Amino acid sequence: MQSSSRLQRLTSAPAFKRFVAAPEFGPLVLLLVEIIVFSFLTSRRASVDPFFSIFPSFLSSTNITNLMTFIPELGMIALGMTMLMTAGEFDLSVGSTFGLSAIIMWTFYNAGLTSLEVGFLVAMLISIAIGFVNGWFVTRLRIPSFLVTLGMLLIARGAALYITDGFPQRTWSAESPLVDVLVGEFRVGDLRIFTSLLWFILFVVVLHYVLVHSKAGNWILASGGNPMAAIARGVKVGRTKVWLFILSAVMSAYAGITSSIRVSAANPNSGDGYELEVIAMVVIGGTALTGGRGSILGTVLGVLILRVMRNGIVMVGVPGLAYKIFIGAIILGMMALHSTLERRTGNGR
Amino acid sequence: MANDLVRMEHINKNFGSVQALDDVTFTVGRQEIVGLVGDNGAGKSTLIKILSGAHPASSGQIYFDDKPVEIKNTWDAIQLGIETIYQDSALVPQLSITRNLFLGREPLTGPRYLQRMDKRFMDEQTRKLLGELGITKAINPDTPITSLSGGERQSISIARAMFFESRLIVLDEPTNNLGVEETHRVLKFIQSARDKGLSCIFITHNIYHVFQVVDRIVVLRRGKKVCEANPKQTNIDDIEKVITGIHDTLPEHRAG
Repeated sequence: MQSSSRLQRLTSAPAFKRFVAAPEFGPLVLLLVEIIVFSFLTSRRASVDPFFSIFPSFLSSTNITNLMTFIPELGMIALGMTMLMTAGEFDLSVGSTFGLSAIIMWTFYNAGLTSLEVGFLVAMLISIAIGFVNGWFVTRLRIPSFLVTLGMLLIARGAALYITDGFPQRTWSAESPLVDVLVGEFRVGDLRIFTSLLWFILFVVVLHYVLVHSKAGNWILASGGNPMAAIARGVKVGRTKVWLFILSAVMSAYAGITSSIRVSAANPNSGDGYELEVIAMVVIGGTALTGGRGSILGTVLGVLILRVMRNGIVMVGVPGLAYKIFIGAIILGMMALHSTLERRTGNGR
Repeated sequence: MANDLVRMEHINKNFGSVQALDDVTFTVGRQEIVGLVGDNGAGKSTLIKILSGAHPASSGQIYFDDKPVEIKNTWDAIQLGIETIYQDSALVPQLSITRNLFLGREPLTGPRYLQRMDKRFMDEQTRKLLGELGITKAINPDTPITSLSGGERQSISIARAMFFESRLIVLDEPTNNLGVEETHRVLKFIQSARDKGLSCIFITHNIYHVFQVVDRIVVLRRGKKVCEANPKQTNIDDIEKVITGIHDTLPEHRAG
């Protein structure tokens, strides 16, 4: 009796209501459910079937290390995509930029043209150019971002294949402080952590600040929500979008270089298909494809949801090839949830 | 008249071979509400878009405060103090009232490079403004525009223009899609804006609404200004006949 009234008081507190009504609440619940289900299934499986006890359980440090290794790479692309989609555009060329940037850096380095650091800078400059061209075509020529970035997807992928003749680039000969800065390894207890995770967390903090608290964030939201009204108020919608296209390309390039160093391979095909997985992560987190609504924290949850799903279903013993069925189901389920919530509460900040 | 706030002289506008405006001269006095009426395609919107910087004029000259000005884009118009409120699109529906009020003019706090919005100040001002609007029910400044009624949205757009000390508010069909009571409230609000020193251009094809509030009516037809009238000296039927082209001019006005 008493405990139920206490629960009632808790659930009727304004802070609790706000927490439940937040667009990030649905994804958070889904992530927790995933973690609980996978932990339960892996531990039960190990106790029933002695063969499986040699595999690490879902919550083992080996597996968590594994998860946290992959999260920053797709996650960084997703952060850039979140900002761009909030402004009402999206970028299909992120996967190609991811592949091309690593190819450029390692080709320059392997050919003895530059040091690794200069190669890194060249790759980042080229990604800035890619983002600028995307943005320029979309805002000046008023071509839909779907078409512009589809073209850029092919150009960047084609360039990576042409430069390398389709062969992976050598990456293991590098001794450079850059390698440690981008993806150095260190241990925290039983966990092996790459510095890329720290960079990812830093980007999350900075971009969340920009989107929620800064003037630029207000412009980004308005550019996606109602560009005509924003322009009428003197908001430089075109310039805002160009900057976001550049951000998206730069984040992808950075993630691509990070990944190439970590796996010791710069493959001209790497990043293929990432664009759709990243867009899925972003919309699962509550960012609207049509713009005007976006959440960096939601995207972090979206990234975790899909990575945990991919990891978990393999550990539970579902064939990995079935992964896409689950992603598709999650996307549909979350979209249904978001649209219901939006209709009920009317969303805004 | 030398005392006009805005004078647009001999404005022409061509879209290819179509002449949208033909030698239109249009003025707005200080603290005056001008009703700009005409049928669809009469050139009302084109004239206003030239004034608000959305289109350049093909020829003609604009004076603001008796000084010749060039309005090349919306920002130029805003700098002069011309605030245009397009029908139903002046606000960003997903954003809160506060974020909409300060859109494009966000006050900052803290070090400049952080570009941090001064949310506390913004919320305070919004609350104050909402109180002045006379919206009876308590509205939280965080409320997104989507959960407001049409009249509340129009009032907030107009209040925003007043808050930022615009000199001229251009309202494009402000009473479209509004209920009777809400229309009334918006019309009253426009009058109170004038009493506080602003001028207004009120574009509409609902001349019944115009008649209640404006000081002067200007009728456009097929890109030409066909007449000007004082609503106190004419009646709705006569104006309607001019708009539709049954008459070319108003009949000699009746006594009164």
